[in-house]
Amino acid sequence: MKTPTSAFYRTPVKFRIPTADNLVPIRLDIEIDGQRYKDAFTWNPSDPDSEVVMFAKRTVKDLKLPPAFVTQIAQSIQSQLAEFRSYEGQDMYAGEKIVPIKLDLRVNHTLIKDQFLWDLNNFESDPEEFARNFCKDMDIEDPEVGVSVSNYSLILNENIMLYFHVTPAIAFAIREQLYEIAIQSVVSARESRMNKKGRRGFEYTPVSKGGATAVDLVKLFGQKSSVVRKRKEWDVYEPIVDLLSNEEVDALEAKEERNFR
Amino acid sequence: MEATQDPTSNPSGIDDSELELYTIPSHSRWFLWDEIHETERASLKEFFDGTSISRTPKIYKEYRDFIINKYREEPSRRLTFTEVRKSLVGDVSLLNKVFLFLEKWGLINYGAPSSDSGDNSIAEDDEKCKIKIEEGAPNGIRVVAMPNSLKPISVPRNPKDSGNAIASGFKSPPLASFSDVYGDSKRQKQLTCGVCSNKCDSVHYKSTQDDFIICAKCFENGKYGEKRSMDDFKLNEPSEDSGKHEAVWTEAEILLLLESVLKHGDDWELVAQNVQTKTKLDCISKLIELPFGEFMLGSAHKNGHSNSANGVVNSAKQVQSSSSEHQGTSKTEDQIPEHKNETEQNGDVVKESPLKRQRVAGPALSDSSSSLMKQVGLISSMVDPHITAAAADAAVTALCDENLCPREIFDVEEDYASGPSSLNSLNGYSARVLAGEDSDTERSTHSDMHDRSTEKDGIPLTLRIRAAIATSLGAAAARAKLLADQEDREIEHLVATIIEAQTEKLQHKIKHFEELELLMEKEHTEIEELKNSLLTERIDVLKKTFSAGVSRWKDYPSVKS
Repeated sequence: MKTPTSAFYRTPVKFRIPTADNLVPIRLDIEIDGQRYKDAFTWNPSDPDSEVVMFAKRTVKDLKLPPAFVTQIAQSIQSQLAEFRSYEGQDMYAGEKIVPIKLDLRVNHTLIKDQFLWDLNNFESDPEEFARNFCKDMDIEDPEVGVSVSNYSLILNENIMLYFHVTPAIAFAIREQLYEIAIQSVVSARESRMNKKGRRGFEYTPVSKGGATAVDLVKLFGQKSSVVRKRKEWDVYEPIVDLLSNEEVDALEAKEERNFR
Repeated sequence: MEATQDPTSNPSGIDDSELELYTIPSHSRWFLWDEIHETERASLKEFFDGTSISRTPKIYKEYRDFIINKYREEPSRRLTFTEVRKSLVGDVSLLNKVFLFLEKWGLINYGAPSSDSGDNSIAEDDEKCKIKIEEGAPNGIRVVAMPNSLKPISVPRNPKDSGNAIASGFKSPPLASFSDVYGDSKRQKQLTCGVCSNKCDSVHYKSTQDDFIICAKCFENGKYGEKRSMDDFKLNEPSEDSGKHEAVWTEAEILLLLESVLKHGDDWELVAQNVQTKTKLDCISKLIELPFGEFMLGSAHKNGHSNSANGVVNSAKQVQSSSSEHQGTSKTEDQIPEHKNETEQNGDVVKESPLKRQRVAGPALSDSSSSLMKQVGLISSMVDPHITAAAADAAVTALCDENLCPREIFDVEEDYASGPSSLNSLNGYSARVLAGEDSDTERSTHSDMHDRSTEKDGIPLTLRIRAAIATSLGAAAARAKLLADQEDREIEHLVATIIEAQTEKLQHKIKHFEELELLMEKEHTEIEELKNSLLTERIDVLKKTFSAGVSRWKDYPSVKS
């Protein structure tokens, strides 16, 4: 590891996405006049903001969307970037933290379920490479799903247009979860600081919602335990890839549509 | 392609015929189930910098062994990372790194069909071809055990390999035996002058373009050989640039060196003059390199010129005696004069020792003339046996840490000694000496020791002596600790007494003061009473005067006026 490891185990880490590239996962879901545009991609926060408008214009032009989308897209991206930047420079967590990441996503006809551990202190981790490996190992060869996958489609009224972004869906999902964990860590770090100062009237609520709780390192990696999982646990951590039929996809999409409305 | 017996060190020790053969590329020959090789340490540093509980060498080994085993369950199939990670606990990025490392070195998926088609696989095939070419590498670059590995070199199939490995720059450990050091120097190739084809002495000139060498004489005479000029040559002086490969020493020179060291002690100028053929620096480094150099230095330094040197080098026994002298001298300096005499008689040390002991009135510890082994025995007798055992243990470990050689020796020793180990034999040995036979002369001890050394000549005498000295030092330290503890208790006791006396004194004082106070109070009340009586008396007087009818106050102004 290139970074001075010993140093950052002592002091809290400043907020960032705990991967090699500090990329912000951005999700867009915009509906104007019955036209709905859904997309997901990553954005480099150090890029100049003028890029955002350029990007919005290009996207609208490429997808032949009505011009009203431009401001909406740009605004959405801007606000998400602003949220990300609001956390920058704050302390996240100190010490080692390994979290379970759960994948449960659908990419067109492919359904992926998986679960694995991710080290939040490994700033050389590469979700994109992981995703590439995953697709290679699991034989996901469908050109639409393959290496460059996106599970978000652009729905234009009746005719469904599929828009695939470069970011693989798997990598995006990992980034999104890491982002969420990072935010939670900042919040909890802030709260524990407040509590230490002894402010009254501040109710401490455990922030460990969902699957963001870090695993017990001592239990897993201590002297007594083996890092090889028990055979019955293998199924839990085994990735599952399902290919869906057209009808199933339609049904799922209809369901998602209903949930959205 | 080389078929390697999979577990070279299979713990279960199954017959060769029962083992399956696995293929690994020859460049991965470093791999051993029981050890973690430097290559692994270098490539996967995060496991070895000790910064994290989730990344330790133990965990790395578990990862590695599991992945390799998993692949070997079905070597013809390509193992994928996704298959592996479901069974392993840990950060997936890290697991991927381990997986890629093993794949890169061909420990897994070697020869297995590549899963993907296209450019990628072609590139991989190319790589495999290259690997095959590499397999023709000569046996000389076979990987031997790391110098600091825990086990002795174990390349079982080709005995000559280890020899090769040593020849190729394997530096002999500092405690190598005499023959090792000497033999090594003999093996060094002779440098011959390219012009006059005489043997070059230590100073020669080397061409900067190739390995052409001419001697200093030819260089001075301007004979540079064909098509060479003076500028092409560089002076090679062994005392400087080849200091590492130490100059070649002949046996005669070494003898001369030892002799002159004994004669002149620390005076290296004189020593170098005596040796003639070598420089001062050479002499020093050589002496340090010699297995018993330190002893020689020590004893030579203490005893100055008095030591006779006849053949001290050759017999380990004599070395022992000189080292025991060294021990003795360091203990009591005032004994030196007699000591010197003994030294001159060399062998007679031993006979005289009981007499000497009687003469020394001091405690047994300072008995300088008793032999080393006896000292050890005495010292160890002063503390509990288990303390001695611990000290000996520590001594042996320390010696083992010092370098590889003794460790191997002790290991070997442990293998065939039926008793618990060399420690015990050492202990038992010193115990036997202390058990007594004070009347017995040291000769018996010597013969005893001799028996022992013939009995298991695995351990060089010098080494055992060092172990014994270390043991005795340890025992002495333990003894000192005991004495210190006792002293401590004494001091504590005395301090307590002093404090008690002081308190008593204080109490007495307080009592005295209380008495004084009582007296004071009494006096005070008396004075008070006196005061009262005086007052009443005065009142009485006044009353009387009033009743007498004479007004003093009236009188007074009249008198005045």
